[in-house]
Order: sequence, then structure tokens, then C-alpha cells
Amino acid sequence: MNNEKFHHIILSLKDNLYRLALSIVHDKAEAEDIVQDVFLKLWSKKDEWNNIDNAEAYCYRSTKNLALDRLSSRAIRRTESIDSQQESYAFIDSETPHLQFIRKEERSIIYRCIDELSQNQQLVFQLREIDGLSYGDIANVMGISEDLVKITLFRARKKMKELLEKYNDERI
Amino acid sequence: MMKEYEYIRFLLNKYWNCETSVEEEKQLQNFFSGKDIPEDLQKYAPLFRDYKESELSIRLGNDFVKRLEAAIHQKEKEKQYITIRIFAPVLKIAASILIMVTLGIGIYFLANENKKPYFAETYNDPKAAIKDATYALEKLSEALQKGEEASKETFNELKNLNIDWTALDSMDVETESEAMIEPNEKENL
Repeated sequence: MNNEKFHHIILSLKDNLYRLALSIVHDKAEAEDIVQDVFLKLWSKKDEWNNIDNAEAYCYRSTKNLALDRLSSRAIRRTESIDSQQESYAFIDSETPHLQFIRKEERSIIYRCIDELSQNQQLVFQLREIDGLSYGDIANVMGISEDLVKITLFRARKKMKELLEKYNDERI
Repeated sequence: MMKEYEYIRFLLNKYWNCETSVEEEKQLQNFFSGKDIPEDLQKYAPLFRDYKESELSIRLGNDFVKRLEAAIHQKEKEKQYITIRIFAPVLKIAASILIMVTLGIGIYFLANENKKPYFAETYNDPKAAIKDATYALEKLSEALQKGEEASKETFNELKNLNIDWTALDSMDVETESEAMIEPNEKENL
């Protein structure tokens, strides 16, 4: 890895790492601080860059670990709900208010479902669905085996399916 | 269209069983982002469409990279002073040890100075010491003997002179009394 690769990693991963940190600590300033710390740590390990096989996975893992550390040490409460974050989401202008309302409700439904998952399930689910990581990379980030990643993801998806069907039935 | 729906249902089944590739999952997301979604699949739309949309809208501020660069710059600056900071305690300890050693050596020499004996032992061989001491004492004894003999000779010479010591003593008194009377007599005259 060289300086160019370092800058490439920053630009391509910063938002992904921010989302990962945010999903753990649920605090924007804290999440941003975590991402900055991860990049600073990577920068300070300049001499070891050649020994880091997968810099992307390394950044994801550092972010996850640092976020979990901060969460446990500062005991951050989940005060800032994801729903309130979504309120600032910019809707497509062409949608009718009714459609916007339904979409907004669906968005909160998805996060209500995700809230039902265990923390590990949430992280594995996010790394796969949003970041599109391979099972191998997720295993590397989470520090678990690939088989366990598959089992965790299988359970998470199964639960999401059940919850989505349940919410759908309730609406009808 | 029906064929596409069948394919989507097939992919969905694979998805629930965690058998889809990342590419196939992207196909599902693309399908649910469209408008033609069968009624019975609508309920899964939030999972493939809204979740990703919402998550991708969460982004860091534009000034993040600038702030990161500033932080890196700051860190590089700190690095230059870090060596001094790391060695500061060591330097303090070294300075303390140096002061203590200097004081210790100073006190040691001062103490030795006080303890120094006035008569230092200069002989290693006791026999030689006795020999030299005896020689010195003999010399002293000889000198004293010479002195004694000389004084004896003087006494003898004085005796041989036959001096009348009593006469000499009275002479002395007379001259003294004369000297006392003389000024009075002079006055009377």
C-alpha cells in the first residue's frame, strides 16, 4: 500500500465505515470520531502497510472493534433513534404525499425489524446487504468463521422475512 | 414478465437460504427498486429497496477529509516531539542519578579527609620499623647524654672557680639598698 492507496481507501470507505460505526454507537459525532481514529491508526501504521493483506477488511474490523469499545466504555444509550434520522431523508419530488407516507412507514418498518436482530446479526446483515462484502471478508471483519457468518446471516434473513410478513399482515 | 417474476421468486428463495451471490443480491435490489412488483412480493420491498436507500443516504460531511488531513498533519507534528517526551522521564532520572552520584562522591571524599590519621603508617616491615625506631632512640639518648655531660662539666667548672655565692648575693642587696638611700641623701644634702 502507498499514499495513493491510502487516499483511495479513505474516499471509498469513509461512508461505509461511518455507517457501520453509527449502527453500533448511534451517535453521529461519535461515529465520525471513530472513523477518523481508524484512519489515523492506519496512517500511523505506515511502516506495516505492506503486511496488511486486506486493508479494507482491516478498516472495517478496526471500526467495528473501536465502536464496540466506545459503546461499552461510555455506555452510550440509544437515545438518537434511527427513525428521527430518517425524517431528514430527501424524498423524490415526483412522489405523491400518500406514497411518501407509505415509503416513510416502510422505512421505519425496516429499522423496526433490524432492531429486533441481535447485534451480531445486525452487523453481519449490514455488511452483506449494504457493503456487499463476501462471506470471507465478513468473517475477517467479525473475527468469526465463514460458517458462522452464513448461519448468522441465515437467521437474520429468516427473522427479517418473518417480521416483514408480520408487519404486512398487521397493516392489512 | 412472468418469467422475470419466476426468476425473482427463485432468487428470493435462494436469498432466504443464503445461497445467493453478491451479484444476485444486486439483481434483487434492482428489481425491487422498480415499479412492477407483484402484490405478494411488495412486503419484501423495504428490505431490498428502502434499507439500502436509507443507509446510502447516511454520509459523512464534505469537510471530513479536510479534518482528517489536518488531524494527520497534527499527528506528524506531534511525532517530532514524541521522542523528547518519551525520553523526558529517563532524562530526569539520569539527571537525578548524576546529582546523587556527584553528591555521594563529594561526601565520600570529605568524610575520608576527616578520618585521615595524623601519623600515617609508613613502614610495611615491622622489623625495619623497630630497627629505625631503636636507631632514632639511640641517637636521642646519645644527644641527651652529651647534654648531661656538658652540663656536668659546666657545674664542675663553676665549682672549681670557688665563688663565694653568699658574698655575691649580699653585694647585690647592698648595691640595691645604696641605690635606695642615695636619692634621699642627695635631697638632705
